[in-house]
Amino acid sequence: MDYVIEEKPAPGRDKVEVLGATFEPGKPEGAERGRWRQKMASREEKLRYLENGERYWYGKDWFGSEKRKTPA
Amino acid sequence: MAEETKKSIDPATIQMLEKAARDGCRVVFDRAESTKACPIGAEGNCCSICAMGPCRVPVPKGREETPEQKKNRTGVCGATAETIAARNFARKIAAGAAAHGDHGRKVTDMFIAAAKGEAPGYEIKDEQKLLQLALELGVTIGDRSNNEIALDVGEILRAEFGKQEGELLMLKRAPLKRQELWRKLGIAPRGIDREIVETMHRTHMGVDQDYQDLLHIGSRCALADGWGGSMIATELQDVMFGTPTPTHSQINLGVMDKDAVNVIIHGHEPALAEMLAVVSQDPEMIEYAKSKGASGINLAGMCCTANEVLMRHGLPIAGNFLQQELAIVTGALEAMIVDVQCIMQGIVDVAQCYHTKIITTDARAKIQGATHIEFIEHDAIESAKSILRAAIDNFPNRSGEVLIPDVKADLIAGFSHETINYLLGGMYRASYRPLNDNIINGRIRGVAGVVGCNNARTTHDDAHLTMVKELIKNDVLVIQTGCSAMALAKAGLMVPEAAALYAGPGLAEVCETVGIPPVLHLGACIDNSRILMAATAMVKEGGLGDDISDLPAAGAAPEWMSEKAITIGQYFVASGVFTVFGVNFPTTGSKEVSDFLFKDMEDMYGGKWAFEPDPLEAARLMIEHIDKKRKALGIDKARERVLYDMAMRRELE
Ligand code: SF4
Repeated sequence: MDYVIEEKPAPGRDKVEVLGATFEPGKPEGAERGRWRQKMASREEKLRYLENGERYWYGKDWFGSEKRKTPA
Repeated sequence: MAEETKKSIDPATIQMLEKAARDGCRVVFDRAESTKACPIGAEGNCCSICAMGPCRVPVPKGREETPEQKKNRTGVCGATAETIAARNFARKIAAGAAAHGDHGRKVTDMFIAAAKGEAPGYEIKDEQKLLQLALELGVTIGDRSNNEIALDVGEILRAEFGKQEGELLMLKRAPLKRQELWRKLGIAPRGIDREIVETMHRTHMGVDQDYQDLLHIGSRCALADGWGGSMIATELQDVMFGTPTPTHSQINLGVMDKDAVNVIIHGHEPALAEMLAVVSQDPEMIEYAKSKGASGINLAGMCCTANEVLMRHGLPIAGNFLQQELAIVTGALEAMIVDVQCIMQGIVDVAQCYHTKIITTDARAKIQGATHIEFIEHDAIESAKSILRAAIDNFPNRSGEVLIPDVKADLIAGFSHETINYLLGGMYRASYRPLNDNIINGRIRGVAGVVGCNNARTTHDDAHLTMVKELIKNDVLVIQTGCSAMALAKAGLMVPEAAALYAGPGLAEVCETVGIPPVLHLGACIDNSRILMAATAMVKEGGLGDDISDLPAAGAAPEWMSEKAITIGQYFVASGVFTVFGVNFPTTGSKEVSDFLFKDMEDMYGGKWAFEPDPLEAARLMIEHIDKKRKALGIDKARERVLYDMAMRRELE
């Protein structure tokens, strides 16, 4: 995914750079509607998603509600 | 007609039953009428495991039994009614675990062959799922190729089947508290095959004769399925064929096409179905079909194979378990291609009334009178083509009336755990948080897994539909697999629009916001492991307790029939889920065994069984259980999240 940086006016600070939209333009049609896994192209991106999205199991510093001192 | 409506609520099924009667063809619904169920066996009171028997030990009807009579109510060997019922029950669990386990093993073998490049046509389609397994199993990723990683993953998972000690690796996915409990109770499975073998040994004549112990080891065997054989099958299928994502398709006998070569793939393992989906698009095969006078090839699925290819290819489904013979009755089915599990031998007889060819394809499942063309995974494309050619060759043999019911419904399927997580949280913070929050604030009352088969002893699809409608009306989100999912899809409940029509206001609001149906299709029966994962994710997300047994959730199989269903039920119970079965229950002949399953198990596992053939009453039991859990969590009163503004904060200070 290519990140787009946009300039936006900010109160008292003239202009600031912010991360632009991360969704794709338009509306997916047909079979494309359900396809989300294909959006991750590189292995790094996939691993990053796992660490974050499936953090309950694969996150290094996040153990969900079960975080405890002594492991089960 | 009135008679037919007692058999099924599905109009396509009723039409085909009428046609079968006109054609003089006997189908499962007729056989169920002429072959009465044995009342003693139905209650688990018959033992036939040694040649001194079979011994029947029924409870006397219509009179109270004296303690002396009860004491004497044993088999020749002295086995009590409790031992007999528990042994039968444990054996069903072992059979179901064996079926799912052998499915998982076959998938694993194929996965390894694909990784080695020895199964052309199969490949790693979902790298992300592969990486997920590699992380979980400690397989080095680095710059290694997908096939190198897959080979290690496959070898590690294949070893799970024959493992002799330790515990199954995927148990580590479960909530930590649940893992501790399994270890404490001694039911953490060691290896998949080992638990099945030990259950078969312990239920052999003259071995384990303590009903509680038998049911306990039954739990271990069932867990070896849910968190072992089934889970491995699901995960490796996802890697090879793709993790399901929402897909639109259609369902019911109306998906057949009178002008095309109709081919139905029926059974459970997706390897052949995947390849048929590919080769049926091959211009050479389509041309071949045209050369026989057909307009093309129309491939549809039936039973769990259908769910597999539906979720990954959007292939239409012709129907669920009790419709397998009725697809033949249309007179428009050129071939029914079968592999393993839930294939009624009756299809061969029914096919003789018409022109349909029954083609068995798996070395483990042959049927007298069927044509056997073995599917060779190592030469999958050619093998699938030769099977398809046999179907096409049969097109000119059509004779008699062709009648395809004009009945079909749209559905959206493919809600894997991964997709639910993504849908609720998005790419940058995939999460179950919105689900948990909406359960906590009361918009969603709870979650119910409604799964399982059809059963010719009860009105086809009726219990599924009645139960699920009642649940969603009461704001319970329903997740489904197997033939149960198909029943709801046929009734039009698996499209987002169904939320406004059938769901309670809270659930409807959430469904509309997320854009999901109120009834989610998670896949085939083997994919009940996805329900375990979804439940675990809800626990780990937080706010709903710290074990599956704390969740406001329940499970059901209102029209169950197969041994696999019992295994699934038991692994749900041993994972902490309240699980209700309909139709009949195979231990009702023993009060002690039933009490142990229906009451005592809750103290041990946090989950228990219930038997309730009335689907409305069963739904009520599930809702009651959900409310009990909400109360225990302190979320029994609807509460909105309050966003504090500065003035409110200042007030607090
Ligand atoms: S094991 Fe006992 S109860 Fe079972 S058939 Fe043999 S004698 Fe009868």
